[in-house]
Amino acid sequence: MDLSDSVLDHLRHMAALPDVSGTRYELEREIGRGGMGVVYAARDRDLDRRVALKVMEAELAGEARLIARLEHPSIVPIHETGRLPDGRVFYAMKLVVGVRLDHYLARSPSLAERLRVIRRAGEALAYAHTTGVIHRDLKPQNVMVGEFGEVYVMDWGVEAVAGTPGFRAPETPLDRRSDIYALGALLEFVLPADGPPALRAVAAKARRPDPADRYPDVGALLADIERFQEGLAVEAWAEPWRHRLVRFAARNAVLLWLLAAYAGVKLVLFFLRNL
Amino acid sequence: MDPDTAIGGPHGHLPSTQVSLLEAAAAGMPHDALERLIALYWKPVYRFIRFRFRKDNEDAKDLTQSFFTSALEREFFARFDPAKASFRTYLRMAVERFAANQHAAAGRQKRGGDVQFEPLDEHSAAAESPDAIFEREWRRQLFVLAIEDLRAHCAASGKEQQFRIFEAYDLAGAPRPSYAALAAEHGIPETSVTNHLAWARRMLRGFVAERLRGVTSGERELREEMRRVWT
Repeated sequence: MDLSDSVLDHLRHMAALPDVSGTRYELEREIGRGGMGVVYAARDRDLDRRVALKVMEAELAGEARLIARLEHPSIVPIHETGRLPDGRVFYAMKLVVGVRLDHYLARSPSLAERLRVIRRAGEALAYAHTTGVIHRDLKPQNVMVGEFGEVYVMDWGVEAVAGTPGFRAPETPLDRRSDIYALGALLEFVLPADGPPALRAVAAKARRPDPADRYPDVGALLADIERFQEGLAVEAWAEPWRHRLVRFAARNAVLLWLLAAYAGVKLVLFFLRNL
Repeated sequence: MDPDTAIGGPHGHLPSTQVSLLEAAAAGMPHDALERLIALYWKPVYRFIRFRFRKDNEDAKDLTQSFFTSALEREFFARFDPAKASFRTYLRMAVERFAANQHAAAGRQKRGGDVQFEPLDEHSAAAESPDAIFEREWRRQLFVLAIEDLRAHCAASGKEQQFRIFEAYDLAGAPRPSYAALAAEHGIPETSVTNHLAWARRMLRGFVAERLRGVTSGERELREEMRRVWT
């Protein structure tokens, strides 16, 4: 038998399409593809709504069960899991209308907005860690920003995921600290070119090669970001005096203005008295 | 360039390796597993050697045969470490080393005037790299074998009509017949045509997975290879 390239491509395409005839879903189109499976936009006939259908090999069925356990505003809710006639598994989930974080940054959002996305993603990670789940492959392509500003962390990993260069921690096996490394890389990724050195220091601490030198948990990293936003010193950075003065001035601007005004008035009165 | 060998296809005969497969079995690999492995890899290795070292049909066949014989002699399969690479990558690198040594030896003989090399025409020197050719041929051979498994399964289970419809539609090049035309030809409703096709594709996918399972070292490598086949 001789299979031409075009017949081979046709076979690969047709045999890979999931047979959903025995389910309540109708496939619309492929919307994503990765190492863990293929995601399709689909219509739920029973509830007359659009969903995302992720189809993966049977060996990865654990992923669907694992994610279904997670209930958090920044984790896409799973509606249903099932098995296709060919043994592959699928799960139906909310179809997120939005853009990936890397595309979102092309809109030049403010620093505060960038940090809001990082904090929402971090909160999802912190929650997942309390349930014993780690992400393993956090990266800009796995964070979605919805049309109303909602943030979702997608593609929660299982053992098979090897991570992505630049976001993957050096240690093996991956654990909670590896997610902290990836969150640090994500923070570094969203910072603009003139991003504050304090935030770069936070990202650098999260990405230290030795897991013991990183933040002990996601909460500690988020707390450092919060300190920066409140004008306080971050733990990750031994701040030079010049920066400390500038930060003190920015944080106490009203008080300093009042003091300056008071001093100014006193000075004027002093001169008036001595005229 | 002269045409490729017909060896390696499902109806072709794989050349018997000179060393007993029992030796390989003794090295830890069951006989039937080894046969399945050679059935899948013989043609990709042959094509890789042809294009990487610009060999003519006979030389490429001889080198391919020598490679598998040598591999069996040296317990090559038993030395494979799945922690370092997929078997496909391990085998491709070994072929390259083996064929490069043989090529160099032949070159030395050529200087003595013993060996003639066939010139490679423009068509065969296509832009595709030998590595890409190896992977494409591996994928093609995998499907050829899975289709034969499907054909045998249909014959054994009285589903010849399903296979004929699959063959007439999915194995036909463009333009493909319409579902209505196939339904009329076989005297069945159009929905049966689509059902038969869905069934055959599902089975084909299963046979592809089964073939891969036979030549991979575990679940992780199987998943990786499945991903390479379908994406």
